[in-house]
Amino acid sequence: MRYLLSSLLLSSTLAVAQTETWTPDIEAWNSQKPPQPDAVVFRNATVWSATDKGILDNTDVLIRRGEIAAVGPDLSAPSDALEIDGSGHHLTPGIVDNHSHAAILGGVNEASRISTADVRIRDVIDSESINIYRQLAGGVTTINLLHGSANAIGGQMATIKLRWGAPPDELVFDEARPGIKFALGENPKQSNWRPAEPRYPQTRPGVAQVIREKFQQAADYQADLDDAPTGRAARTQVPPRPNHEMDAIARILNGELDVHSHAYRADEILALMRTAESFGFRIRTIQHVLEGYKIASQMAKHGVGGSTFIDWWNFKAEATDAIGYNPAIMHQAGVLTALHSDNPELARRMNLDAAKAVRYGGVDPHEALKMITAYSADQIGAGHAIGRITEGHDADVVLWDGHPLSAFSKVQQTWVDGRRYFDRQADQRMQQAIAEERQALIARALDEGGSSSDEAQASEEATPGHQHTFNFARHLTGYRPSELDHDEYCVFHAN
Amino acid sequence: MMNTVFSMPTKRAAQQLMGAVMLILPSAAAWAQVTVLQNATVHPISAPAIEQAQVVMADGKIVDVGVDLDVPADATVIDLTGHHLYPGFVHPATQLGLTEISSVAGTVDTREMGQINAALNVEVAVNHDSELLPASIAGGILTAHIIPGGGLIQGHSAVMNLDGWSWEEMLIASQAGQHIAFPPGAVDDEDNEDLSRINSVLDQARHWHQADAAASAGNGERPPRNDQLQALGPLLAGETPLMLHANRYDVMEAALDWADTQGFDNVVLVATPDVQHIASRLADADIPVILKNVYALPMRRHDGYDASFKAPRVLAEAGVKFAIADATRGMDVANARNLPFQAGSAVAHGLDPDIAMKAVTLWPAEILGVGDQLGSLEPGKRATLFAANGHPLEPMTQITHVWIDGARYALSDVKARRLYDRYRQRHPGDESP
Repeated sequence: MRYLLSSLLLSSTLAVAQTETWTPDIEAWNSQKPPQPDAVVFRNATVWSATDKGILDNTDVLIRRGEIAAVGPDLSAPSDALEIDGSGHHLTPGIVDNHSHAAILGGVNEASRISTADVRIRDVIDSESINIYRQLAGGVTTINLLHGSANAIGGQMATIKLRWGAPPDELVFDEARPGIKFALGENPKQSNWRPAEPRYPQTRPGVAQVIREKFQQAADYQADLDDAPTGRAARTQVPPRPNHEMDAIARILNGELDVHSHAYRADEILALMRTAESFGFRIRTIQHVLEGYKIASQMAKHGVGGSTFIDWWNFKAEATDAIGYNPAIMHQAGVLTALHSDNPELARRMNLDAAKAVRYGGVDPHEALKMITAYSADQIGAGHAIGRITEGHDADVVLWDGHPLSAFSKVQQTWVDGRRYFDRQADQRMQQAIAEERQALIARALDEGGSSSDEAQASEEATPGHQHTFNFARHLTGYRPSELDHDEYCVFHAN
Repeated sequence: MMNTVFSMPTKRAAQQLMGAVMLILPSAAAWAQVTVLQNATVHPISAPAIEQAQVVMADGKIVDVGVDLDVPADATVIDLTGHHLYPGFVHPATQLGLTEISSVAGTVDTREMGQINAALNVEVAVNHDSELLPASIAGGILTAHIIPGGGLIQGHSAVMNLDGWSWEEMLIASQAGQHIAFPPGAVDDEDNEDLSRINSVLDQARHWHQADAAASAGNGERPPRNDQLQALGPLLAGETPLMLHANRYDVMEAALDWADTQGFDNVVLVATPDVQHIASRLADADIPVILKNVYALPMRRHDGYDASFKAPRVLAEAGVKFAIADATRGMDVANARNLPFQAGSAVAHGLDPDIAMKAVTLWPAEILGVGDQLGSLEPGKRATLFAANGHPLEPMTQITHVWIDGARYALSDVKARRLYDRYRQRHPGDESP
C-alpha cells in the first residue's frame, strides 16, 4: 500500500516534470501524448467562465485528472500540483469550431447522389492533418467535421477533439450528439458549375421537395421495419430490405441524429424548418445562416441554432445580404448563436471573429466569447462537457497573454483533457529543433555534392495536385491534399 | 415630390426619405468654409498622439492639427470627446471595384486572359457604385491601390478614393505601377519560356520607344502603333514603378536579380510572408514591400504555425519599409475591411503597434507615391480620416465617423447598416409580440 501510494505520488510528480519539458512534433505520428498531471492549478488569471458567473478577476482554476475540479479565489491545491501563474493572463474555455473540414481524408463532398445520408466522416478522419496542431495554437480544442454542401443530404458528421498525436478513433468525441449535414440553395442545385449530366433538383423548390420526399420514404421504411413480423411469423416473410441511407434518415425522424443544414437565404431556411415540423422534429442548427437575422424570431420559435461566419459576404448571389450584425440580431432574438470557421486558416483566429460580434451590433464581449465556446458546444449537444470553465467540465482551456478578443493577444497554452497540447515555449523549442535539423541536412547534402537549393523539390510540389485545393493555396509546399481541402462548392474564388 | 414621400407611409418611402436626409449631410458640411473636429485624441501617425486636440479642415484639405488652434467663428464644430482620429487606411493592393459577386462572372473584371496585358488601365472598370466600396469605407479603408490580375505583364494599377460619383472623380493616381508576375519556373531555368517572353516584350518595347523618339526628333519613320509596347514606356523610363509579384523567397530573389539585370531601379516587391527570408537584402537595396496577407497558412508544411503572423516583425526589425495587404483578390476583396486586423495580429507576434499603424497608412501612401497627399494627419494633406472608439487595429473597435476629402460620409447609409437597422426592429427579442 505504501509502495502504491509512493509510486502514485512519484508518477504524479513525474507528470508535472514531463509537462514542463514535453515538446510536440510536427508529425502527429511522432508526437507524444502530453502527460496528464494529477492536479494543475492556474493562479490569479482573468477567467472567462462562459457561464452565468461571467468574467472572474484574479481567479484560480483547479484541474484534477483532466476535469475542472474548482473555480474560485485562493483555491487550495495538492502540494504536487502543477502551478501555472495566470497573473496578467486570461483563461477561456477551449474554442469549439462546429463547422470544419480541416481533417477529412479523400474529399469533403460525396456529391454523386442528392442524398448520401449513409456516408460517415467518422470513417475518414485525418489524424495527421497539420491543421490540428495549427488550430490548437489558435486556442481551438474541438472541431466538428462536416461534409460539404454539394448535395441536399451530405452525410454524417464527426466531432473530434484536437488530441494531436492520437489515432482517428481516439480523436472522436462521443459526448457530442450525432448529426448529419444538409445543404440548401446554390450548391445542391448546382448553380455555379455545369455538370455534364445535371442532377435533380436545379431549383430551390426542388431542393425542398427532394428533402420532403426523403423524409416520407424514411418514415415508410421505418414503418415497414416496425411492422415486420417477429418471431415465428418472420420465418415465412421476407424482412424489409436494409437500406443504410434510409436508416440514417429514419434516425433523424426518431430524434437520434441532429440536422445541421448549410443555408444562406431566409426563404429556404423557413422552408426546411416547416418541413421538419411537419415530420415532428426540429432542425438543430442552420450553418452559415447568412440571412438568419431576417427570420430570427421564427428561428427562435422553432428552436434552431444559428452558426454563422461573421463577415463573409457577396461571394455568391445568395450571400449578398450577409451582414456582420447577423449574430447580434439572432442573439438578441433568442436564437442560440455561434460562430464557425469553415476554413483551416480562419480557424486559427476564431477569437477575432468573436471580437467582430462586438464591433457589429455591440454584443457583450463575454457573450461574444460564448459564441465560439459555450454556445457552439451547445449546438452540437456537447455543452454539458465542454465549452465552459465550470466544475465537472473537461479541462479544455486556453491561456492567453491578453484580452482574448484582442488582435494584440496570442495563445500561450492550450489544454485538452488536462493535457497541455500546445505551449508556446514548447512550440518555439520544436521550431528551433526543426531549423537545426534542416541546417544539418542541408550541410550534409552539400558535403555530398548536392545543391543548396532546398526549394528545388518545392517547385515540383507547388501544386499539391488535388482538384479541391484552395486556389489561393497553390503556391503552398509540402502539404498533404486533405490539409488544404475545403468545401469546394461553398467557396468561390474569382481568381 | 416631398408630399408624395410624406404621404406614403411605406417602408420603401421611409427609406427614400432617410436616404434624402443622408444626402444633405455631406453637402451641408461642404458648404461651411471650415470644419473643426475637436476634443479627440488625434493620431497623426507622422508624430505622436495628441490628447484633446483639433483637426481643422477646409476645401477638402487638412489646414491644421494641434491644440488651442485659431478657428473662424463660423466654422462647423464637431465634438469628438472620447474618440480617436486617424488618417484613413490605405489598402496597398486590392481588386475592389473590379468585382462584385465573385461567383457571377458578369460582375468580375479581375483577370484578363493572355500573358501580355501591359496596356490595361484598371481604373476605367472601377464601378463607383459597387456595394463593396461602402463596406470597405465603413471599415476605415478610405483609399485603395486597385491592381490588375491576369498574365505575366498585367497592366497598370491606380490609387483611388473609395468614394466618388464616377471613377474619374475617385482617381488619385493612374499608372501607379506596372505589374509583372515573375514566373516561378524561371528560378532554376535560364531558358524559362515565360521569362523569355517577358524579356522579349521588354526588348521590343525599348526598340519601339527608341524608334518613336527618333521619329519625334525627325530621324526616321514613326513605328506602327502598338498599344502594349507603348504602354510599357513609363515603366522603361523609370516613371512608373515596377510592381513585381512573387510568392516564394527563392522566386523573389530571382525576380530581384532579374530586375537588376533589366536595369529597373524603381521596384516594389508584392510578396507573400515568405519575403521575411530575404528581409536584409531588401533593406540593403532599399526596396519596399507590399506584404500579401498576414492571415496566410504557412508557406511550407514544416514552417512554424506563426510563420505568416511574424513576417511584419521580421521586416520591421531588418529596416524594410512595407505595407500590409490581404490576399488582394478572391474572397478578400469583399472583406478588404479586415485589412487593419492583419496589422493587429502582427502586433500579437511582436510588431511594434506604431509601425503596424504606419504599415496600413503612411507607408502604403509613400510606397504608392501619394505620401504627400495621404497617410497621415498633417496640414496640406487630403482630409481623409476617420474617428473610432478605440484602437483601429482591434476588431472590437467601432468606426464612428468618416470624412473623405473633407466631406462627411454617411455610414448609416451603408447597406449592412441599413439592413441591420431594418431587421433589428423586426426581431427585437423578448419584447417582440
